[in-house]
Amino acid sequence: MIRVLNFFCVALMGLSILALYHVSERTRLAGVDLNRVNRQIAAEHATIDVLQVEWSHLASPERIATLAQSKLGLDNTATVQLSSLELLPRRGEDEAPLTSSPVRNASAVVPSPTDAAGMH
Amino acid sequence: MTEAPTIYQRRIVIGAAICVAAFALVLVRLVDVTLLPSDKHRNARGFSEQVRADMLDRNGEILARDIPTEDLYARPHAFDDKAGAARDLAAATGTDPRRLTGMFTDKHPYVLVARQVTPDTHERVMHLGLPGLDFLPSAKRYYPDGRATAQVLGVTGFDDDGAMVGLTGLEMGLDDQLQDTDHPVELSIDMRVQYILAHEVEENREHFHAAQAGGIVLDVRTGEVLGMVSMPDFDPNGYDRQPGDTTHNIISQDVYELGSIFKIMSFTLATEDHTMRPDEVFKIGNGYKIGKYTIHEAEHMPAVLAARDILAQSSNIGTTQIALRSGGVRQKEFLTKMGLLGRLHTELPAARAPLYPSNWGTIETATISFGHGISVSPLTFAAAAAAVVNGGRKITPTFLKHPGDGRGEQLIKPETSEKMRELLRYVVTNGTGRKADIPGYDVGGKTGSAQKPKMNGHGYTHALITSFCAAFPIDDPRYLVFVLMDDPHGTKETGGFALAGYTAAPLAGRVISRIAPILGVPQRLTTAENVRGRP
Repeated sequence: MIRVLNFFCVALMGLSILALYHVSERTRLAGVDLNRVNRQIAAEHATIDVLQVEWSHLASPERIATLAQSKLGLDNTATVQLSSLELLPRRGEDEAPLTSSPVRNASAVVPSPTDAAGMH
Repeated sequence: MTEAPTIYQRRIVIGAAICVAAFALVLVRLVDVTLLPSDKHRNARGFSEQVRADMLDRNGEILARDIPTEDLYARPHAFDDKAGAARDLAAATGTDPRRLTGMFTDKHPYVLVARQVTPDTHERVMHLGLPGLDFLPSAKRYYPDGRATAQVLGVTGFDDDGAMVGLTGLEMGLDDQLQDTDHPVELSIDMRVQYILAHEVEENREHFHAAQAGGIVLDVRTGEVLGMVSMPDFDPNGYDRQPGDTTHNIISQDVYELGSIFKIMSFTLATEDHTMRPDEVFKIGNGYKIGKYTIHEAEHMPAVLAARDILAQSSNIGTTQIALRSGGVRQKEFLTKMGLLGRLHTELPAARAPLYPSNWGTIETATISFGHGISVSPLTFAAAAAAVVNGGRKITPTFLKHPGDGRGEQLIKPETSEKMRELLRYVVTNGTGRKADIPGYDVGGKTGSAQKPKMNGHGYTHALITSFCAAFPIDDPRYLVFVLMDDPHGTKETGGFALAGYTAAPLAGRVISRIAPILGVPQRLTTAENVRGRP
């Protein structure tokens, strides 16, 4: 009986060693994969960082203003071209409160087709 | 009576204890691996060589960030022709060939050829086909908005140990905070405001051929600096070098005799001490004698002026009479209280202390009342002027985002602040600041035109320092705009005049008209009369 038990224990130990080796090898491979993925993540983060900076550069107010002016013919809005909610006509009213006032008559210069020739 | 354990029982207990300890260790390790956060992954954003934190504007836009680059190293012993390798590498990287030749022949085993090489440079170097070259990962500080933020953000460089450190601007002033790469530094700067200020200041500088120009936009309640510009500037990324480029910030690092803009302080003092009424009439005449000195006007003035018109027309003689009622001791005490005689401490380094006379007599009291004989930095003056209009409470300008009320000690009475706001509005509607009047935004402000002192310190040149300090909306101001021009020249449109009313006031007006809608300042075009008769 004791021999059977001993044999069983030795067999169990052998199986454990094999299982441990298998797990250890899988862990090592997983570690390699993990390092590779971590490097990829770091590289992606670095790329995202650079792209975010690039986006900040491309969307900088200076560049947008230059493009809006050269491609769309847009320019700074004069304050008289702005209004407030209370100056808008209410339902049933024919005219806005400032009809025929200088504010109402202030004209925004709409770019002519030739001005916007560069627009695509 | 129990029997003592046998030797086998003891061994079994010891073996069991060892097994329990081993399993306990496995358990601890399992908890460590699976449940506790790992330091290895803490720096989720960024790359391993990132050494400084991002700088963001108040809306989260990136103002400065480290981007990955490479440093190029060489092992000179691997080169067959060291002089040729030095020449080729210098041409490919833009470094000094003599430096490389020297280092290659000095028996250095490992030599730094170039820092922060770009992908283009990397490719050029690889095409050389030289052995013994290593590209090691590194970082470069990049500023997406280039020149627009250069003077306020500053630049970085390397110290003796090769560590990246701030050399100028906020990069230097916030060096400690920027070392923590996990937490970006949120600045008070609003990039939209910064761009508008930079654009308008530069256009105005070119138009009036001024030597230097600058401006600042300040939140008078929180003390936050929304924009600061000093021209000429420089490209912080180092790609575009122009003659005259400088890292010198005239708004924070220089002190000027600001001229008539200082009358704001003289009138605030007189209003605070009730030594003058706005409708009180003063005799002006052709000159005001103090001992052997005579105070003159910059422009022709009527024979008499009410006090409010003395400020509106910027009369030196009238302001002198008002200041002399307070006297030199009280004037000095007041200016000290307003922070105009001390060094202003902000996150920006290298602020200069004001210059003022050690002997503060009658003539000094007179000249200081209209801004001569005392030199302060524009940033210091803007902080003091903000206290005048914000209800009379002290603010300290800050470049860090700080949305809460930053007002501190009560410097002047709220009633004085209210009266001063009325007077500043009067300057814009009826005085020298008319060209800063923007429909809908009720601007109040004051012009300042000061003659530049000679380099030897004796007397004045004909060149001017012109400035305008504006607050809006003036009945309950939120923002202060200060602009300054160094030696502007009159044009045909200004009739040859280069005074602040022609050169600085319109600039402040244009800046306000563009930033006010962005900052959400409500427009007040409620009646047609508000806009009738204005440009």
